[in-house]
Amino acid sequence: MEKAKGNKQAADASGDGILALKNVTKKFGDNVVLDDISLTMEKGKTTVVIGPSGCGKTVLIKHFIVLLRPNMGEIYFRDRRIDNLGEHELDKIRTHFGFLFQGGALFDSLSVAENIVFPIKQHYKITDRSKVDELVTTKLALVGLDGFQSHYPANLSGGQRKRVALARAIALNPEVILYDEPTTGLDPIRADIINELILKLQRGLGVTTVVVTHDMTSVYKIADRIIMLHHGKIIADGDAEHIRNHPDSIVQQFIKGQVSENDLAVLRMGGSIIQAQLQPRDELEE
Amino acid sequence: MIETIGADVIKGVNNMGRFARFVLEVTKAAAWSCSRTRTYPLIWAQMHLIGVRSVPVVMITGAFVGMVLAVQAYDQLAGMGLEEHLGVLINISVVKELGPVLAAVMLAGRIGGALTAELGTMNVTEQIDAVRSMGTDPVRHLVAPRVLACLLLTPALIIFADLLGILGGYFVSVIQMDINNRAYWNFSAQGVELWDVSIGVIKGFFFGAAIAAISCYKGFTCREGAHGVGQACTEAFVASFISILALDFALAVIFKGIYNTFWPVRSLV
Ligand SMILES: Nc1ncnc2c1ncn2[C@@H]1O[C@H](COP(=O)(O)OP(=O)(O)O)[C@@H](O)[C@H]1O
Ligand SMILES: [Mg+2]
Repeated sequence: MEKAKGNKQAADASGDGILALKNVTKKFGDNVVLDDISLTMEKGKTTVVIGPSGCGKTVLIKHFIVLLRPNMGEIYFRDRRIDNLGEHELDKIRTHFGFLFQGGALFDSLSVAENIVFPIKQHYKITDRSKVDELVTTKLALVGLDGFQSHYPANLSGGQRKRVALARAIALNPEVILYDEPTTGLDPIRADIINELILKLQRGLGVTTVVVTHDMTSVYKIADRIIMLHHGKIIADGDAEHIRNHPDSIVQQFIKGQVSENDLAVLRMGGSIIQAQLQPRDELEE
Repeated sequence: MIETIGADVIKGVNNMGRFARFVLEVTKAAAWSCSRTRTYPLIWAQMHLIGVRSVPVVMITGAFVGMVLAVQAYDQLAGMGLEEHLGVLINISVVKELGPVLAAVMLAGRIGGALTAELGTMNVTEQIDAVRSMGTDPVRHLVAPRVLACLLLTPALIIFADLLGILGGYFVSVIQMDINNRAYWNFSAQGVELWDVSIGVIKGFFFGAAIAAISCYKGFTCREGAHGVGQACTEAFVASFISILALDFALAVIFKGIYNTFWPVRSLV
């Protein structure tokens, strides 16, 4: 009875939200990475999470499919609580998601085509080989890599790996796609192609999209809503206009890519210490 | 001081608990894998990697064990005029103890290291998370085939080690030391029972499962970076090595009990 009530409340709170975090806290030892975060993602919209490296973006995005379990708080998918489910139940839920990992996370023992077929093979009985090949070709063409089917991940560049990983993430036509730094490490043109692809999947197929990034060009291009994470808390939440005019100096510094005065002072001081304290080795030895 | 010891003990117990849960999961996953034909290709591929490529290493180990035993034991037995009994000594040591244990130790180094490094690298490059993110259980997909392959093939590899150990012993004793061929084999046949060979091979199932489970666990729990993977490999080898010795002792006690209870009955049947 008590539980049913709790679920209902969450449903009310989420509105037409498809994904929701409620008071999620995640710690690694004493390191509090997420501190009491509540967040609802709307169906069919693109939400971008920004923040400096190491602020817990990857940790946050992994919570949406419970690759990490929160120390406290609850996670909902379509108003169903999922953070307390067993791995086998989660496996079914995870087929609704596509997840692009920061480093691609391609299986390096499998070829590009086998990587893309992997999720299909796990959930469907493959009867018609040629249909599958066709699907692989379509997905690879989407990311501009048709013809690379028999290559191995080790022989691809970082950007190519990421694009293959994206092709794999969309192999099952997911309803929700989670992107962990999709454009990091790509040249500006490739990055823009990825941005276009994210937009196309979202607008064309109505895919709910969550992107984690610190690439501001990409943010302004794709975001319906921007969330900034800092020290485990959400310090800004709104559309591009809201973020641009945000009064908080931390937000302003981040989106403009400026170093704070404090950091600059440390840099200047560090330089003089090095000059004063270090002697060239050969002088000492004379 | 007491605090640090206490903390270490708690960590150790925690680790044991986690390993026990991992083993339980692997057992369930392995049973599941056995009941689905579509997982057989995975097991088959692992058998090729784990088993077939280990044959030369294991055969060389076996051969040297047999030869060394012959060289070392000859003088003692010859001093008492018992050199024709050399066959019993060599062959029983090889099939019962040295063949299985040394073959398992070789495998712990060869397979265990490779498994830990492979799964550890997959772990730090998020490939294991990727398997999970696509709705597949990494224990079923990655660990179960490896454990099953190891479990099934270690006994087979032990047979190879035994065979070469026996040949190596024969080579040194009969061909080098000129012991009477017929006497050598007669004494061997009297001294070595089917039971002795069987328990050597049966131990292989336990050794194989232990090596694979420990190595996979270490790979799954390995820390980030090249250093983390290297450390996991070292820990996996040491843990496998110790558990081989401990299992060997435990199994020796158990099998002795079984032998004393049931083997005499055989003659009555
Ligand atoms: N598995 C883990 N164990 C311990 N600490 C972790 C783990 N994963 C992430 N962290 C810590 O969480 C913090 C945030 O990491 P991450 O989410 O990867 O940052 P980023 O925003 O760059 O993606 C870091 O301080 C990192 O050390
Ligand atoms: Mg990250």
